[in-house]
Amino acid sequence: MSDYIVKELMVPLSEYATVPKGSTLLDAVMALEKAQVEFDHTKYKHRAVLILGENGGVIGKLSQLDVLSALEPRDRESCEINELHKYGFSCDFIRNMHTQLRLQGSPLKDICSKAFQLFVEDFMQAPSEGEFIDQEASLEIALLQLGMGHHLSLLVTRGKGKKIVGILRLTDAFAAVFHIMKECEV
Amino acid sequence: MKELEKLLARIIQRININLRELNYDVSPFFKNLVSLNQMGKFYAFYGITPNHSLDFQFRHSSLAGSYFLGKCRTTNSILYKSDIRGDELKHQGDVFHYDNFKIPITRDESIDIEDSFLIKTLVHNFSHDPETLEKFFIRDTVSAHYANIHGSPIAGSFLCPFATVDLTTMHDCVIGTFSYIQAVEVDHLNIDPGTVWVRNPDEFNFLYRYPLNKLNRYINFIEGRAPQGFIMDFMDNRKEGFRRIFNEVNIEQSVPVPDSASLDRFAVIKPRTHISENVLVAQRAFLQNASLGKGANAQENCYIINSSLAGCNITAHGAKIIEVDLGKNIFVGFNSFLRGRPKIRLTVGDDSIIMPHTIIDIKKPLTIPPGHLVWGLITNSEELETNSIALKDFAKIDDSLIKGNMTFEGNGAGFVNAFRDRIHHILDTNGAFFDGKKNKGHAQKNQNISFNTIQPYPDGELQGLHPTILIQP
Repeated sequence: MSDYIVKELMVPLSEYATVPKGSTLLDAVMALEKAQVEFDHTKYKHRAVLILGENGGVIGKLSQLDVLSALEPRDRESCEINELHKYGFSCDFIRNMHTQLRLQGSPLKDICSKAFQLFVEDFMQAPSEGEFIDQEASLEIALLQLGMGHHLSLLVTRGKGKKIVGILRLTDAFAAVFHIMKECEV
Repeated sequence: MKELEKLLARIIQRININLRELNYDVSPFFKNLVSLNQMGKFYAFYGITPNHSLDFQFRHSSLAGSYFLGKCRTTNSILYKSDIRGDELKHQGDVFHYDNFKIPITRDESIDIEDSFLIKTLVHNFSHDPETLEKFFIRDTVSAHYANIHGSPIAGSFLCPFATVDLTTMHDCVIGTFSYIQAVEVDHLNIDPGTVWVRNPDEFNFLYRYPLNKLNRYINFIEGRAPQGFIMDFMDNRKEGFRRIFNEVNIEQSVPVPDSASLDRFAVIKPRTHISENVLVAQRAFLQNASLGKGANAQENCYIINSSLAGCNITAHGAKIIEVDLGKNIFVGFNSFLRGRPKIRLTVGDDSIIMPHTIIDIKKPLTIPPGHLVWGLITNSEELETNSIALKDFAKIDDSLIKGNMTFEGNGAGFVNAFRDRIHHILDTNGAFFDGKKNKGHAQKNQNISFNTIQPYPDGELQGLHPTILIQP
């Protein structure tokens, strides 16, 4: 086993971007920017925002991809094109159809202006079973969970109450592994 | 009756278990769909011919008004006025070609229906699934009025009214009202009403989606009600003709039938109908003032009224042709509805293909040129322009085509050739090319069928169920 444990590698919750349920996408993006400026001095920037429930607990995670997906057009034509996946049409064909539709659609600036009308809880991902890890767990266990679930981060819990105290990003785990690799080389 | 109620509850539970991943509950659809009291009122019947297997096994099933031919099994199932037509099943010793495999058939194929409820459904053709060549299974499945299960083993699925599954193995799917699926193999799909989908993976993919607000006028199906719409009304208005032929034991042939043609005694034939050589008219077909040229056919649940078919025409299962003049070699696909009006004729040129589940309903005369592919909903010449294309132009597609609500990707020539091959095969199988000696098909082989009837328990706990029956040579 390595000497690393999760709590040494995680970002404490207090230094991570969070917004309460009911916030808009714009609120979430602003919170992310603030956390990056105030707390994140590593070369790997925070890439998600945690959503807090009424009692302050984490109820979900909003990734950059979730924000971009939220801004995707949801008109009838777009939905019909997306449905073509179900019928086995090729990705190239569907992408071309979307391209044609976008050429006739609103510019990106107009699409982004919707961000203050959309709420985070409608687009966040609720954490799944394998996304939690105890702060005392070893790096090896963290790597196993990240790999098995293809997660970009894990929510770090403390004790039996499983209170969420931080977030372990894939980049933090990778940096630790990279450090061990370099030690091996020496 | 109690046992029948238990059987229905068991079938509904089994299908809901299969559809749980789609979060779909079929129960509400059964309210007012078919009264179980009806199940005791109608006899079932089976055909005996020297040309087909005689091998029936009916166990713990209700078979009201249903017809069986060939090798068929039903277990724990309810069939209401359905046709289980096993005259194209594979035989022991046949060889099935699939990709580079030549697969020997080790025993006669059977249609096996288990834990299923089929309402006015047609089952025909043979299993095209190389994994189950000797057993064409239908299990844990419900199909509503005028659905077609054609060469398609099915499990855990719900077929809404007028849905067709053609040459496709299907698991755990819902197929919406008036949807047609031919896609080799599908699972866990919920297909919207009015979808016409023909896919051969890696070769072509054709998709048409009806505008639902317009389709609903013709056919719609909502929870707690029987299917409704103009097409249902059209069929209901002609029920009486069928009542008579099912009630009478001996039916005199009302029109001359050539030696090489076959007219089923359970077809309704109204005056001024003409039947030429090599014609096949199947049971539950309805002809009125119809002229069928040499080699034409009318399959189950077809209606041909005030129309002429020049010859070698396929009227696939459930197609309706009213006030129409068809040229030669025209394919009218499953459940299509072609309607002109008196003095407002629809004319279709030679060698055209009317895709399955096409609706043409015109108020001004309309002509479809020869050699065209036609699909979707057409009520005037503008919509014909959008929903049709010359087959020679379609065959030139090597990438994709979007036309109105139709989307196509792949090889157009592959699509056209597949259809043409199939049309030729259907005509051949039906005996259209019989020359007096060679090329016998259904039109010649189905001429002398004897029918026996089997009755359900008339009363008591088992009312509506048939006793276990094994019928063999």
